[in-house]
Amino acid sequence: MLELIDLRRRFGDVTALDGVSFSVPEGSIVGFVGPNGAGKTTAMRIVLGVLEPDQGQVLWRGQPVEAVTRRRFGYMPEERGLYPKMRVQEQLVYLARLHGLSATDAHRRARETMEVLGVDGRADDRVESLSLGNQQRVQLAAALVHEPDVLVLDEPFSGLDPVGVDVLAGVLRRQTVNHGVPVVFSSHQLELVERLCDAVVLIDGGRIVAHGSIDELRASRERRLLRIEIAGAPERWFESVPGVVLESEVAGGVVLLLDDGVDEQRVLDLARASGDVTHFTRVRPGLAELFREVVGA
Amino acid sequence: MSEPRSDVRITDRGMWLVVARRDFWVRLRDRGFVISTAITLVVLSIFILLRAYTGDDAPSFRLGIVESGVSAVADASDVEAAGERRGVDVTTVPYDDAAAAEQALRDGEIDAALVHGDDLEGRTSVPPQLAQIVQDAMVRARIQAALADAQVPASTIDEVLNQPAIQVRTVEPVDPNRDANAGIAFIGVLLAYGQLFGYGVWVATGVIEEKSSRVVEVLLSAIRPRQLLAGKIAGIGALGICQLAFIAAFAIGLAMITGAIDLPATAIGTALIVLTWFVMGFAFYAGLFAVSGSLVSRMEELQNAMVPINLLIFASFFISIGALENPDSTLSVVASILPFSSALAMPVRIVLGSATPPQIVASIAALLISIAITIPLSGRLYAGAILRTGARVKLKDAWRAAA
Repeated sequence: MLELIDLRRRFGDVTALDGVSFSVPEGSIVGFVGPNGAGKTTAMRIVLGVLEPDQGQVLWRGQPVEAVTRRRFGYMPEERGLYPKMRVQEQLVYLARLHGLSATDAHRRARETMEVLGVDGRADDRVESLSLGNQQRVQLAAALVHEPDVLVLDEPFSGLDPVGVDVLAGVLRRQTVNHGVPVVFSSHQLELVERLCDAVVLIDGGRIVAHGSIDELRASRERRLLRIEIAGAPERWFESVPGVVLESEVAGGVVLLLDDGVDEQRVLDLARASGDVTHFTRVRPGLAELFREVVGA
Repeated sequence: MSEPRSDVRITDRGMWLVVARRDFWVRLRDRGFVISTAITLVVLSIFILLRAYTGDDAPSFRLGIVESGVSAVADASDVEAAGERRGVDVTTVPYDDAAAAEQALRDGEIDAALVHGDDLEGRTSVPPQLAQIVQDAMVRARIQAALADAQVPASTIDEVLNQPAIQVRTVEPVDPNRDANAGIAFIGVLLAYGQLFGYGVWVATGVIEEKSSRVVEVLLSAIRPRQLLAGKIAGIGALGICQLAFIAAFAIGLAMITGAIDLPATAIGTALIVLTWFVMGFAFYAGLFAVSGSLVSRMEELQNAMVPINLLIFASFFISIGALENPDSTLSVVASILPFSSALAMPVRIVLGSATPPQIVASIAALLISIAITIPLSGRLYAGAILRTGARVKLKDAWRAAA
């Protein structure tokens, strides 16, 4: 398990992290979500030792992370960076060597990783001659080439086409399922986070504002919403049931918010009495709604 | 469910070596490096070949003679004989009148013209050595004539005029090879200067390349800043040493084959001394260059950041050139001991035989102590500045950031 414990960091007068704690169990994918400037990148840089925290620590399998253990981490920084004039394979071999692999292992792993990410055809091209999407794939290869024990990826999906997104999603799944590698990645693509992650960490203003599986997050924030569409219903037909208020109007119908004591069947009865019901469902908030609600944007 | 993972060894040692190897090979294969090495070799070859086939010849002069018809004090054969006694080859060319001789002077066919036995004419000047030879011939001819008039026997005249050469000794002897040594030392200091400056700049641009391409964040997630810095300096420095040794071996080899130098031992010794001080000088300066690179984010800003270091090296170079003339001056002695200039100045003084053993020891000690201070200092400043992009980083902030 990778644990971040009470991380604090200031840059001058700006508090970037104000006591950030969360953990990433082995074999799970955690999405790190929050508005721009919330502290995601700062937290990830601290995990990788690129930045020192003012306070707090990072544990891996119960031990404070040191330079040698960190060498087994894979990292994709927010600001992408590779040697522009170095060839793809050469670059990956070099980075694998820096992560402690022998020359033979480094060559083997560089080839494997290029194949997995579909850039093996560009092995001898200079990085600067690749398209941005392919550079992104090489950047991911750089994070994966040394078979890391932990993966920390800052916005790994940004800039990828749908095929690239699927490839990367598959790679991350294999890493966690087959190798038990804990993965934490930040993203603004919330549907993707929802689809891929076992848990979500929501950060805002340097503090963790929500942490748990998507279902847990929903449960903690669950509001009873019903979406109802009725052909030929009068305006505000629902007002005769106490404890029911209009949440929003949608195309062809309404979304209603029910108080705890209200029976859904009573609402349905009333709806049927008001006209032909064409649609009647519970509304489950997506991560995007939860995000907006929590962050208050 | 779990697939077996490849067995991976983790080691913290030797990381700087992995970095050094990349920095060495990437630059060795760089087209600019290959071209600049080739240019250096070509220039050196021209210099050596010129020296081999034009230098060293005994001086020779062409002297125009205009006979007056009346008896000249010294004639053509007297002048040629006087030249021979001084080991100078004087060829005389007869002219019918002064006007013809003057025209020959203007055309550069002759070095001087002896007109009517006592006027020596040159074009813009007369080579002093030639003037002396002519004077010598005239004095000798007059003495011979005077003695003959006084009925002195021919054998006595001969004895008076052909004295054995006087023995010359000095209480402070100068190395007879001093000029040759100075020539070799000049080439050495020129190469060492180019190497120190060029490879220092390479360290700085290498640091900026990693900083501006942001690859440094990927690197520093694997290794520590000091390992990255040490590897970069070692790799680039090793290339500098190899190139310098290669150039020296090439030049000395060519010079020996063509006979351009009579002192291969001195040349080899000089090369070793220059190499030794280059290694120490590079170790001293490379950290400073790396810091200047880490403070800025773009290549265009580097020039300004490097100004103080460049001035130091440039000044050291000029002092060292001065030391070729005056190796014992106070400035030369001080410069050969101070760590920022000794890498260039001390080899000059050693080769010229001017450095005393205590001075050499002091020079090495000062350099080594300074290196022991600047390397950790640079490491800290570099570590504090390397991840800060944007505006130029202040030294103070870099120092604090790495605390």
